[in-house]
Amino acid sequence: MTNHWNDLQHTDCAMIIGANPAENHPISFKWLLKAKGKGGKIISVDPRYTRTSQQADIYGSLRSGSDIAFMGGLINYMLEKELYHKEYVIAYTNASFIVDEKYSFEDGLFNSYDEAKRSYDKTSWAFKKDEEGKILKDLTLEDPRCVFQLMKKHYSRYDVETVIGVTGTDKKTYLEIAKTFGATGKPGKSGTILYAMGATQHTVGTQNVRIYAMLQLLLGNVGMPGGGVNALRGESNVQGSTDFGLLYHNVNGYMEVPTASPEEATYKGFLEKNTPKSGYWRNKPKFYTSMLKAYYGNNATAQNEFGYQYMPKLTPKKDYSHMRLFDAMYAGELEGLLMFGTNPVVGGPNAGKEKEALSKLKWMVAVDLWETETSAFWQEGAGSKPADIQTEVFFLPACASFEKEGSITNSGRWMQYRWQAIQPKGESKADLEIIHLLALRLKELYQNSTKPADTPIKAMSWDYGHGNHPDIDLVCREINGYDMNTKKQISLFANLKDDGSTCSGNWIYCGFYTEEGNLSKRRDHTDEGMGNFLNWSWAWPANRRILGNRASCNPSGQPWSKDKTVVYWDAAKRLWVGNDVADFPKDRAPDIEGGTDAFFMLPTGKGGLFAGVNEGPFPEHYEPYENPVSNVFSNIQLNPAVKYGLEEMNAKGEAKDFPIVATTYRISEHWQSGAMTRNQPWLSELASHMFIEMSEELAKEKGIKNKDKVIVTSARGKVEAYALVTKRFKPHKLKEKTVHQIGMPWHFGYKGIVTGETANRLTPHIGDANTTIPEYKAFLCDVRRA
Amino acid sequence: MAAEYLKFVDVTKCDGCRACMVACKNWNDLPPEYEEFQGSIQSHEQLTAHTWNVLTFNEQETTNGGFEWLFRHQSCLHCVQAGCEKACPEDAISHTKFGSVVVDADKCVGCGYCVQGCQFNVISLATYKDKRGKEYRKAQKCTLCTDRLEQGLQPACVTACHTDCLIYDEREAVLSEANSRLLQVKDRFPNANIYNPQGIKGTTTVYLLADKPSVYGLPENPKVALSQVVWKDYAQPIGKAMLGVTTMAVIGAVISNSIAKVKNGDKGVDHHE
Repeated sequence: MTNHWNDLQHTDCAMIIGANPAENHPISFKWLLKAKGKGGKIISVDPRYTRTSQQADIYGSLRSGSDIAFMGGLINYMLEKELYHKEYVIAYTNASFIVDEKYSFEDGLFNSYDEAKRSYDKTSWAFKKDEEGKILKDLTLEDPRCVFQLMKKHYSRYDVETVIGVTGTDKKTYLEIAKTFGATGKPGKSGTILYAMGATQHTVGTQNVRIYAMLQLLLGNVGMPGGGVNALRGESNVQGSTDFGLLYHNVNGYMEVPTASPEEATYKGFLEKNTPKSGYWRNKPKFYTSMLKAYYGNNATAQNEFGYQYMPKLTPKKDYSHMRLFDAMYAGELEGLLMFGTNPVVGGPNAGKEKEALSKLKWMVAVDLWETETSAFWQEGAGSKPADIQTEVFFLPACASFEKEGSITNSGRWMQYRWQAIQPKGESKADLEIIHLLALRLKELYQNSTKPADTPIKAMSWDYGHGNHPDIDLVCREINGYDMNTKKQISLFANLKDDGSTCSGNWIYCGFYTEEGNLSKRRDHTDEGMGNFLNWSWAWPANRRILGNRASCNPSGQPWSKDKTVVYWDAAKRLWVGNDVADFPKDRAPDIEGGTDAFFMLPTGKGGLFAGVNEGPFPEHYEPYENPVSNVFSNIQLNPAVKYGLEEMNAKGEAKDFPIVATTYRISEHWQSGAMTRNQPWLSELASHMFIEMSEELAKEKGIKNKDKVIVTSARGKVEAYALVTKRFKPHKLKEKTVHQIGMPWHFGYKGIVTGETANRLTPHIGDANTTIPEYKAFLCDVRRA
Repeated sequence: MAAEYLKFVDVTKCDGCRACMVACKNWNDLPPEYEEFQGSIQSHEQLTAHTWNVLTFNEQETTNGGFEWLFRHQSCLHCVQAGCEKACPEDAISHTKFGSVVVDADKCVGCGYCVQGCQFNVISLATYKDKRGKEYRKAQKCTLCTDRLEQGLQPACVTACHTDCLIYDEREAVLSEANSRLLQVKDRFPNANIYNPQGIKGTTTVYLLADKPSVYGLPENPKVALSQVVWKDYAQPIGKAMLGVTTMAVIGAVISNSIAKVKNGDKGVDHHE
């Protein structure tokens, strides 16, 4: 989240799209209802009417996979009606930048597309510069080649009639949504967009989020209390895991994993390639070197490139994401798998095939609270023949959050420490302890090796106390970082060095554990104003609660609204002050150069209305991998930058065989693959049956009655479930034809107290062009009575 | 006697999360009951001896062509004039100082008259086995967490509620909050009303309903039958003194049947259910 949970209470309008927080993030409604009590509006946009929709002032329906059309139409509306925040747009975004002549867009494709590689040359989407290398601008926003005009032209194609013909939204409702959310463009007003996996789990997931950000920049909502672009994370600590290098191409703090390319052969080359020339990221060498010092300690020296050569290197251009790992597993290229709390036999895309892939492994280790569908994939209950499966499976019992101590980082980036409440049951252990024991054993195995390939594990520093139980306080101190000589804790990432004199396991967390102690343990209820609670736990970066909060002030540094004051420029003190920590150099005056570069992390300091991700600088509507209609915006059906994986893993269904759009979701009562909740009796009784939700109209067409058993089929599998016939699903009346949609929870499997068939046996094995998150949220199926 | 504190359920603030149901089972250590698929996301058809609160889900098309999905936290209303209490031949059901209606398990003989006496389908009998395997029954229902109230805590369901749909507070504060909430929601819910039926001298759980009581399966104007009042407050004390307990139980059965008729008659009104 750019903002945080409590901050939702300050919004004038919350647009909830691709999320169902009443069901999946219920605590958000504590704050959203406070906003509503003060006259704030809630808009729910979803293919079906949810528990969130019931709490909303306006509910708008859309067909799964048509978000960009929906949002593009809103951008067009804001521009046409001039509802955007003009002063903000000029000062804080790249709207005025002149775009290089190479940029063009025609029939769904931007310039520089390479059809064979299914990719673009992103450097061809650049800004025009003068002889000194400065970007050319037109602050009147009238130059036809400025970002603003190009954007306007791009989205002029997204007129209301065209948009609702694609999304199926009722016209009156669509206009009401546009008008209501558009009202937040007024200076001093703020609107927030809340999204979750309903936005991201598409072949255009990244662009879905990009277009939310664009709308928010246009309306001047980024940086405002009650504003922002807010990802509701799907697990209590998924924010923390991502911060700590969960993704294959990231190390801690969102820095790059080195690749085995010639330019990255040396640490110097790696840093040169990956360090921007301007913006705050130009400090990357300080953060990276400090991280290498945390990894390798005294074995990282200036002479050995701070241990850079110990780092594993990725094969350039190779995709190591979840689906590609399972492709490789299916093809027999992987020997072993370590799984910590993950259950792909229920949660993976095309789960039936992913289960097959597991049987190609030599060994698999599952670390979990219960024996899950995945750790038991070889059993008869899973439909397997144990005698045919050679995979050796190890199960390590893990303990639950109450049985261990440590921190979690919530969606609002608050790092909150938790203490152990009870002793672990049986032989179960904390993840940290399991990893600690594994590392100690590995180091022991390799300690006498003289092979060069074994040096990394020998060089790795692992000083977390004596014995089998790691001292978590030492881990915390290292994450923050300390001076290698004095061993004093570093107070903030700005003090990290690139000469090897400091270490820091994760630069964005540098500042949480200072000489004052572990600040994530703080529990001070004092509200300094606006519910930011600066002495309650600690938020990254630098305890800032609202990202981009410089933009909550006008260019001269005063809040757009007195009621929405978080930080402001104190001319007497010559400092940014307020009830939040300014997300800006604290002494940079508004009137000096860079004083209005509100997004100072970025090389240009300006919010990117025009910003290149893999499929282009402006989000464009493409249809999902499987869809029942043709793309009315262009002749390009599927996102042109999406990559195909192993064909055997991803059978494709056609609309003639599978005419119904389907989506998956979660419900309040279960969590993820259900491994935790379907083993909990009081949650299991609340939702004990796998069901498919469908409209009364579809049910009538198919001769299905409520509570009937039905069979849903896709090109990849079939699932039997109960029919839940409801008024909350309506057919989508599109321009081309009327399309039915169904939806189902993906929580069920064959283990646990309550069981049911697994929705993900139906879902496709294809994903977003940037993140490769699978397209769980829009695919085709058919349904009939069982 | 009117309670000093009331539980308030503002159904318009409910987001249907059902944390109240889990909190109830947790505090009262009640076993799970896995029911058949209900054809909606509702988990249990109705309250039972082991499920003291159920969130109901009701899909309603409105007269103006709109749609509402109505949720209700359903549990004991703790009537001031409680049908269950009146029906009990053993004086096992009584009001506490908090206004909560509770069953004394030591006195309850499991006769089930209270089940007939309740107009809200709240109370029912749980079956247990003693050490010798012999079955016996006890009436069970929500206690308003009287054991928590005695410790100065709020009811478990109220503590779990994150939207202030459930509030437990001083009587006047609750009633005034209910009235101001009613005004706020009238635009969207023209039939909204405060449910605190005076025919039974009010309840210790007061509702702000988004639609008519009958839409939620609640009697529009519940009353305790005169026969029930006469039975409990006059006949029973005298009868027990004169005829002995066994004979009174037989007479009780006759009276109870007549109450059951009254109740079923009421049910005929609830055609929306």
